[in-house]
Amino acid sequence: MILKIAWKNVWRSRGRSLVVIGSIVVGIWALLFGSGFMNGFLVGYMANIIDNDISNIQIHNPEFKKDLDIKFYIENGKDKAAAIRTWQGVKGATTRTVVSGMISSPKKASGVQIRGIELENEAIVTSLDSIISEGTYFEGIKRNPVIIGSKLAENLSTKLRSKVVLTFNDSQGNITAAAFRVVGIVKSSSLAISEMYAYVRQEDLTRLAGLDGQIHEIAVITDPQIDEAGIVNKYKETYKEDLAETWKETAPELAMMSEMYGSMLYVLMGIIMTALVFGIVNTMLMAVLERFRELGMLMAVGMNKMRVYFMILIETVFLGIIGAPIGLFVGWVTIYYYRVNGVDLSNYSEGLEAFGYSSILYPYLEPNTYYIVTVGVIITAVIGALYPAWKAVKLNPVEALHKI
Amino acid sequence: MSVIKAENVTKTYNETKVPVHALNGINLEVSEGEFTAIVGPSGCGKTTLLNILGGLDHPTEGNVEVADTNIGEMSDGKLIDFRLQNIGFVFQAYNLIPVLTNKENVEFIMLLQKQDKKTRNDRSMDLLTQMGIAEKANQRPSELSGGQQQRVAVARALASKPKFILADEPTANLDSKSTATLLDIMAKMNEEENATFVFSTHDQRVIDKAKRVVTLVDGVVVSDETK
Repeated sequence: MILKIAWKNVWRSRGRSLVVIGSIVVGIWALLFGSGFMNGFLVGYMANIIDNDISNIQIHNPEFKKDLDIKFYIENGKDKAAAIRTWQGVKGATTRTVVSGMISSPKKASGVQIRGIELENEAIVTSLDSIISEGTYFEGIKRNPVIIGSKLAENLSTKLRSKVVLTFNDSQGNITAAAFRVVGIVKSSSLAISEMYAYVRQEDLTRLAGLDGQIHEIAVITDPQIDEAGIVNKYKETYKEDLAETWKETAPELAMMSEMYGSMLYVLMGIIMTALVFGIVNTMLMAVLERFRELGMLMAVGMNKMRVYFMILIETVFLGIIGAPIGLFVGWVTIYYYRVNGVDLSNYSEGLEAFGYSSILYPYLEPNTYYIVTVGVIITAVIGALYPAWKAVKLNPVEALHKI
Repeated sequence: MSVIKAENVTKTYNETKVPVHALNGINLEVSEGEFTAIVGPSGCGKTTLLNILGGLDHPTEGNVEVADTNIGEMSDGKLIDFRLQNIGFVFQAYNLIPVLTNKENVEFIMLLQKQDKKTRNDRSMDLLTQMGIAEKANQRPSELSGGQQQRVAVARALASKPKFILADEPTANLDSKSTATLLDIMAKMNEEENATFVFSTHDQRVIDKAKRVVTLVDGVVVSDETK
């Protein structure tokens, strides 16, 4: 019957209870949408970097990571890449010949990383062909085609089909320069792709650099549900001489961002739940104060303090139990809608892209976030009820019975 | 057999500042089956005495025994359980739980006593029938008149089968007709169930109905008459 009384007490002041339930709904919605929004930024950013740039796994000669010298190539790199492609969980693997150099147009010059790529495999691993905004993916120009990022093209004041000169040290340490023609311009929110890379055919680069098909980098993309660490371990066991790293090791700042997001969820939850606690304390305190005489009567006739305490707690938990599913549902619907349609932030695209973010945001939440939020709301409701419940049990029945 | 025994009970409020002596050495014994009215002018200490006899307040000095148990030394927690098993209360303002039906209000005490559902159901309906409001069992208190609400409160007080019932000005908010009906019912419960009633009142109609009248003035018993 205590449950029944508590339930009926919730609806004793319908308007007030609805306000609290409404604040719980809005709180949960804001928390879910805020988290989904933040997570969407992060997931989008990470997806851009991983899918278009660093991939899930990168393999190098250990010395190459310390000094990007052309001589630190991977022994039998192409054979190793071919073997990796057959491994379970590997979606694709591509090799790259990488040299540092300069790119210059008739007007300007800029430092650049020249990436000699396998056209077909690169398209599988980084989808480079899909982010061409102008021109083609190495089609239409037979001799020395190059693809550069939109920002780099802007910096060089160059455009499609213009000539640029790539200058770099060959395998003998001699400075080599060759004219290339811009066959395509890629547009990406990744700063590296947009500003720092020049993609050329691997055979063109190895020929000019005096290499015999040697490569410096193997990039591997895995199936989404696969833990890349397992593949890295397998590689290390098979080819002990090379340095194989997951994206978390290749780009520790991304891993840190991912961890920071987890902390931010709790910070955001803390802020919203704290505001909610004050709302609940206020409401439940009013509910207790206006029922002083009734609570005094209950204690006078023999309802012990523990029962009074739990009755107030249960009333508050009921408010949470009503509000939480509604808030979760509204939050889920909002996130689902925007996950399908995206949040258009194109008004801020220039600023966002300058930091490597996409201008269309797709909010996303891990399923366990809903669980965390539900538990958080119940805990918040209980915390919010502690003081009013304590106030109730501290009542002196004699004084309470004579309250007007 | 006495159900209440108060010996040299005093109660002083504001002991450290300006002391107010509400009760000054009260000696009172109430036996099972009595129908006692405690009367006196406002501020004479009637309600204070009832609160102390009911274990809602502690005396400054003296002893109070209820059913041979000294309740003056009990902790607040033990007193709550003691009240539940031994004392029934009827308040001036009824103090029913507005969100429960009248039957549930009566059942509630028995639920706290952990009585089974059938016992609760049978006794609550029996008491409401004796109070003449069985047909209102499933209505809320707010749908009843003041007199009817007070009858539900009496049924609630009797439901736990207490040793005695303390009624603080039970007729103060009632009209003449409701007062007469309520008093008849309580008198009938006193006769038929040997229920012990102790009232505080200034209502002459209650005083006329009482079998014993204890008069207080300035916290002292000045007369104790049995009719």
